[in-house]
Amino acid sequence: MTNLIELQNITRLYRSDEVETTALHNISLHIKRGEFVAIMGPSGCGKSTLLNILGTIDRPTSGAYLFDGTDLAKTSENQLAKHRAGHLGFIFQSFNLVDDLTIYENIELGLLYRSGLKGSRRKAIESAMDKVGIAHRARHFPHQLSGGQQQRAAIARAIVGSPDLILADEPTGNLDTENGAQVMQILQSLNAAGATIIMVTHSQSHADQARRQVDILDGQLVASVAQVL
Amino acid sequence: MLKSTFTAFYRSFVRHPLYALLNLLGLSLGIAVFIALSLFYRFETSYESWSPKLPQIYAIGMRFHFPGMTDNTGDGSMGGLLEELKTAYPQTEGTRYWPNSVIVHKGADVFNEQIDLVDANFLTFFGVPVVYGNSANALSDPSHVVLSASLARKYFGVTNAVGRTMILNDEEGLKNYTVSAIIADLPKNSVMKLDILRLLTPQRTALKYNWHHWGSVQVGTYLKFKNRTEAYAFAAQFPAFTDRQAGQSFGADVMPHKVLELKLIPLADVHLISPKLKAAVISLGVVGIVALALALINYVNLATARAGLRAREVAVRKTLGAAPLVLRLQFILEALLTLLLAFVVALSFVELSLPLLNSAGGLSLKLDYHADAIWIASVLAIVMLAGLIAALYPAFALSAFKPAQVLASSRTPGGGRTAGILRTGLAMVQFTAVAVAFILIMGFMLQIHHIQNADIGFQRSNLMIVNSIRDNAVTQSQRDAFAVEARALPGVSYVTIANAIPGDTSMINNSSIVRPGQVDSATESPTVSSSIVGPDYFELLGTKVLVGRIFDVQRGEDQMWDDKTSDKDRVYSVVISRRTTKDMGFPSPQAALNQIARFNDHTVRIIGIVEDMRFYNPNEPIPAKLYAFDAHASDSVVGMVRYQGLSAPAMREKLQHLWRQIAPAVPFDVTSAADNLDKYYKPERDRTNLFTMGAGIAALIGCIGLYGMAAFNTGRRVREIGVRKVLGASAGQVVRLLLLQFLRPVAIAGLIAWPLGWLALQRWLSQFDDAIAMPLWVFPLASGIALAIALVTVAGVAFGAASSEPGKALRHE
Ligand SMILES: Nc1ncnc2c1ncn2[C@@H]1O[C@H](COP(=O)(O)OP(=O)(O)O)[C@@H](O)[C@H]1O
Ligand SMILES: [Mg+2]
Repeated sequence: MTNLIELQNITRLYRSDEVETTALHNISLHIKRGEFVAIMGPSGCGKSTLLNILGTIDRPTSGAYLFDGTDLAKTSENQLAKHRAGHLGFIFQSFNLVDDLTIYENIELGLLYRSGLKGSRRKAIESAMDKVGIAHRARHFPHQLSGGQQQRAAIARAIVGSPDLILADEPTGNLDTENGAQVMQILQSLNAAGATIIMVTHSQSHADQARRQVDILDGQLVASVAQVL
Repeated sequence: MLKSTFTAFYRSFVRHPLYALLNLLGLSLGIAVFIALSLFYRFETSYESWSPKLPQIYAIGMRFHFPGMTDNTGDGSMGGLLEELKTAYPQTEGTRYWPNSVIVHKGADVFNEQIDLVDANFLTFFGVPVVYGNSANALSDPSHVVLSASLARKYFGVTNAVGRTMILNDEEGLKNYTVSAIIADLPKNSVMKLDILRLLTPQRTALKYNWHHWGSVQVGTYLKFKNRTEAYAFAAQFPAFTDRQAGQSFGADVMPHKVLELKLIPLADVHLISPKLKAAVISLGVVGIVALALALINYVNLATARAGLRAREVAVRKTLGAAPLVLRLQFILEALLTLLLAFVVALSFVELSLPLLNSAGGLSLKLDYHADAIWIASVLAIVMLAGLIAALYPAFALSAFKPAQVLASSRTPGGGRTAGILRTGLAMVQFTAVAVAFILIMGFMLQIHHIQNADIGFQRSNLMIVNSIRDNAVTQSQRDAFAVEARALPGVSYVTIANAIPGDTSMINNSSIVRPGQVDSATESPTVSSSIVGPDYFELLGTKVLVGRIFDVQRGEDQMWDDKTSDKDRVYSVVISRRTTKDMGFPSPQAALNQIARFNDHTVRIIGIVEDMRFYNPNEPIPAKLYAFDAHASDSVVGMVRYQGLSAPAMREKLQHLWRQIAPAVPFDVTSAADNLDKYYKPERDRTNLFTMGAGIAALIGCIGLYGMAAFNTGRRVREIGVRKVLGASAGQVVRLLLLQFLRPVAIAGLIAWPLGWLALQRWLSQFDDAIAMPLWVFPLASGIALAIALVTVAGVAFGAASSEPGKALRHE
């Protein structure tokens, strides 16, 4: 299988007035289409930074990022926005649903910035809601839902556009065991259906459900264990 | 509690300086406009309030009902009216005020002043503040004069000039007078201008042939009544009294009270007797109230927004057991503190802008903290009360936050959809006001430009008016010499002497004109304003001759009648205006040519018809005119000089030099026709300036509010914007989204403003006789400007938000 993602010597520095933090140092990583990768490591080691760079909402200080063979380093902001709308899906620890919009409208956001007709949108949204089991909550507002329901809505928003890559930053971090397990189940079935998933997690049992685990310590790659199924 | 309020108040400035400053600035500007326009309103509505007897005093006004004339009530009356009233009703308590001009000699210098001939009881009747002398008998002797303090200083160098003598020259000739009392200078908002007062004597009234001529207007007559009921009861007798006294003054078969309506006008209402002026003053008062309302809307919007920022604090306080009532009270106290601070800032704004305001508005307003303490306190009370009402909503909104919900949510609560709709609605109200103001400002300016530049039937530039000619001390030979020698000055093309000049209504004379076979009746025959003109009158003005010819000094037959020796069988030549032909019922000016009519007991032939000329107020229709020719006009006439090739000051100087040679004993008094006419345009221009300033600041307040809202909303939406960007929204799309949110209410407001602006402008334009057509393009332009201003205001906020990094906004805290 071809590499969907190639990271070559990625370094990310944060410069504030005097302090310079190295969030990521010389990271090189290849991820194939259809993989399910878990990223683990202690708090502050750079997991979110890595995920943000993969998600093109942050740029590396140095190094190259090839997505499906295209170098994203030279791409303009507007091009990157298009790239995100067309190829990526995000899931956050704190859900990040828009309070003023209904669940349906929140999920619709996932399609809003790509071309497509309103009529076909409706079907896609309904099928995404079915997949995560929150169709009955379509007209509710986020604050009327439980945490697990909110996260499932957020997942529906991430997958509604059938992205090539799903990026999940501690998707179970704010959920209880039962809801966490549910979310993992959904991710599993998405991966089985062909989606590439990169997930940050603190839970070893959740990491074990991925096919491959990447460990990070102080901004550097520790090991990359490929799980053979 | 008070201490914690102060702390919270102080912290709000430190923690959210932008909101605090926007809030304070918006409020201060609104309050400043309110204070300034209240000052203006008070000034305009408190005329004659120097008189302690104000509530009991009524001016006699007259309203004429003549065909073809505007029948506004005027505040003058016939000179002999008071005498006739006293004969009929001996208990009448009244006094008269007759302003005249006088020449004051001081050494070799001469000055023109106003002298007021008054009845002996004048000072006590009004309670005029007397500084030196005795108000009861100061005017008992006809050789006495009473001076105002500033005039005493002008002529004697000291205020206490009692006992000093001065030389005056008026209709009674050159005489010595003794100063018997000094009165305080009256405030500027006084219809009466008391500079020099002298007793009105029967000898003097005997000089006036029309002192008891019903229909003439010379003096101000004032009556005193214990109360309104008594005044109304007295006024009810006017029609019968008029019919008895006026007899056949208005024709054989006319009831005099049908033509001349006597009225009692409370002294306080005399200044704003013109409904148009009153409406203008009220509208400016409304602008003040609107500015305050806009500022309070800002306050409500920003305060509710800020309440959201403090929701977490409130939620925590509530979980710790704070009662909603205490929170509300604290919030209201904070609001009052803000208002108080804003009021102080507003006062300083007013102080700083008063000079500008006074010069732009032609006013003399001032803030006197000592004398006006009560007034300022009451304005403060109004502001605080209005502010208190406005502060209730945010106070309740703040205390109503549900702690569990606030603490569970990751973002600032905006007060829910209702609060959002309220804020949008209020912003819409603000911008509707702003757009209406823009429509009106543009409409006003277009109309003012129009009346200042419209074709008014004569050339108003390069035209000097020599008022000195009118002075009683000028002799016939001096008048003739001036006409001849001024004509010889380089640059002068015409000189004429006449009693009809642009911008001076003091010489108007109205009579009926009757065609043969028509009834001679004041209620049915057309009224014309007649003028006596000398050679070159129409040539000098550049008047367009429609039909026939104008007067020719070579033709002896053009010379008008002489009242003493007039020949009843002669047919005299007159020229009339286009309007007169219409009023007389001629189908066209051509049809009027060579027609015979009766005018003032004389038979006249219409030898020519000239175009209408707008000499007076553009608000009023041009009167129908009849011109008679006098080669040596003498009775209250004025000179006019047409020149070219030199500046107005240079012309003035030449005329002054000439005048000094011809009549050194008479002060030189020359104005340009343009300046003379400007008195009609200036009030309108001044009020438009005031309106523009008020409305401009109101627009600024609206922008401050919009900016605050945009900043607040965007602050609340940082996370959402991050989400949208992560989901692939480009910066441009986010900007569009935000701008649409901020500008939609402004755009809707722009449309709501159209019908409102239309109605208001329509109403304002209807007061002009020569109004512009409704300028349609002004409406989209005004809304466009409002939208553009709003766009500039919020664009920065929107771009800032759109270019922020989504990764940062979404970091999990
Ligand atoms: N915007 C930022 N500015 C400065 N330092 C940052 C910023 N974002 C992250 N960091 C730092 O980079 C390091 C990695 O952070 P992050 O990727 O969020 O860690 P985590 O593994 O917990 O997700 C941390 O030391 C963090 O303090
Ligand atoms: Mg993290």
